[in-house]
Amino acid sequence: MKFGTRWPPIPAGILIGISMLLAFVVAGRGIGASGAMTRLVAWVQHGLFPAATEQSAYFGKYFADGAHPLNDYVVFLLVGLLVGSFVAAWLSGELRVEVLRGPRSSVAYRLGLALAGGILVGFAARLARGCTSGQGLVGGAELSVGAWVFLMCIFAGGWMAAWFVRKQWI
Amino acid sequence: MDMIAPLVKTGVISSTLNLWLALPIGFLFGFALFHAGFTDSRRIAWAFYFKDVGVPVVMFSAIATGMLGLWGLSLIGFLDISKVYMLPTFLLPMAIGGVIFGLGMVIGGYCPGTAAASIATGKIDAVIFIVGFLLGSLVFGDFFPVWGDFYNSDYMGVFRLDQWLGIGLGQTVLLVVLIAVSGTIFMRFVQNKVWPPAEVDPQEKYVIRLHAALIAVALVIGITFTFFPSESFIDDSVETPYYIVPKTTVSQAISEAQTLEFSDLAGSGA
Repeated sequence: MKFGTRWPPIPAGILIGISMLLAFVVAGRGIGASGAMTRLVAWVQHGLFPAATEQSAYFGKYFADGAHPLNDYVVFLLVGLLVGSFVAAWLSGELRVEVLRGPRSSVAYRLGLALAGGILVGFAARLARGCTSGQGLVGGAELSVGAWVFLMCIFAGGWMAAWFVRKQWI
Repeated sequence: MDMIAPLVKTGVISSTLNLWLALPIGFLFGFALFHAGFTDSRRIAWAFYFKDVGVPVVMFSAIATGMLGLWGLSLIGFLDISKVYMLPTFLLPMAIGGVIFGLGMVIGGYCPGTAAASIATGKIDAVIFIVGFLLGSLVFGDFFPVWGDFYNSDYMGVFRLDQWLGIGLGQTVLLVVLIAVSGTIFMRFVQNKVWPPAEVDPQEKYVIRLHAALIAVALVIGITFTFFPSESFIDDSVETPYYIVPKTTVSQAISEAQTLEFSDLAGSGA
């Protein structure tokens, strides 16, 4: 039995679940991706406006007691994630520079919506205190009510907008 | 009770080694994201059209694995669950955040982790998505006073499904497994109705057998859990320093949630 580059969904999901379980066992916390990127933003802004960023009601905590925002567990996780995905794509011969889009979508349309969607997700991930992995998967496994509500609302929101952007995908 | 895990909290490994061990854990996560097909924005977006329901199925199985592992290791006394950081619930901000997140996901085609993984495979749309993501979090952080009160509202502490439903933790775990299994079967059914496959996958038979075997394992573990009372998984009377905000009893939290002010939480690192 050979699956090629795309595994059946349940074994792939189990491997993601195992990486989460390893984080529970080793670090006593879950995995996540959005936190590291927010720390990156805070770090860049700190380079430009150090005083304002340190006093920021939200970003300030990343610099408390002289801490470096990038010296954090989630940043190490993200570096590992990037390497893991790169290696998997490389071994599968799928490293390609391209713009993924549906057959009816132009490159400009796709990239415009990618930017718009990214802004919404960036804002929402902070409001919900995590993303699909850090809040959804980890909170889901911890049986958190908030995480399950978050997951159901993601699908509600997605289905609400799906019809309007269908030309991008199908 | 001397439990081994979490390794860094019980002193088995140093916090420096813990940081370095995040690299192989992240590697495994990224490796799995690629093989789940999540570095392709179309496959993620197609979930919302039932054209490819891989996203919810992968998420169900990841949650089920993490859940059975986390509570199972606590049950057998390997993992001290009071030292695991539990995510607190801020119900309304998480609900509204979820809706906006879902809108952004179908518009942008990624979530943060999958976009990062996709950048590593060379996808330009993922780079642009992440530029947007960074802008979105920048706006959230820099204008935090505008929505800070809402962000900290509707706080319910560490509030679990079993506490909400008023049933045992073991029963809740089995219920989640059942929801994951029936959700998976339902989504596959809808996908085959709406988008009938053009050709039969020759490996389909093996994939179904493999999936059935894995589902059976999850069901057996889940059913075993129902024979144990909630106290064998977690001692809810223990206050631990690992909670982001002090744990209160659920009934208190629900009544207080309506009256909590931003200032009450600002001091506790929220």
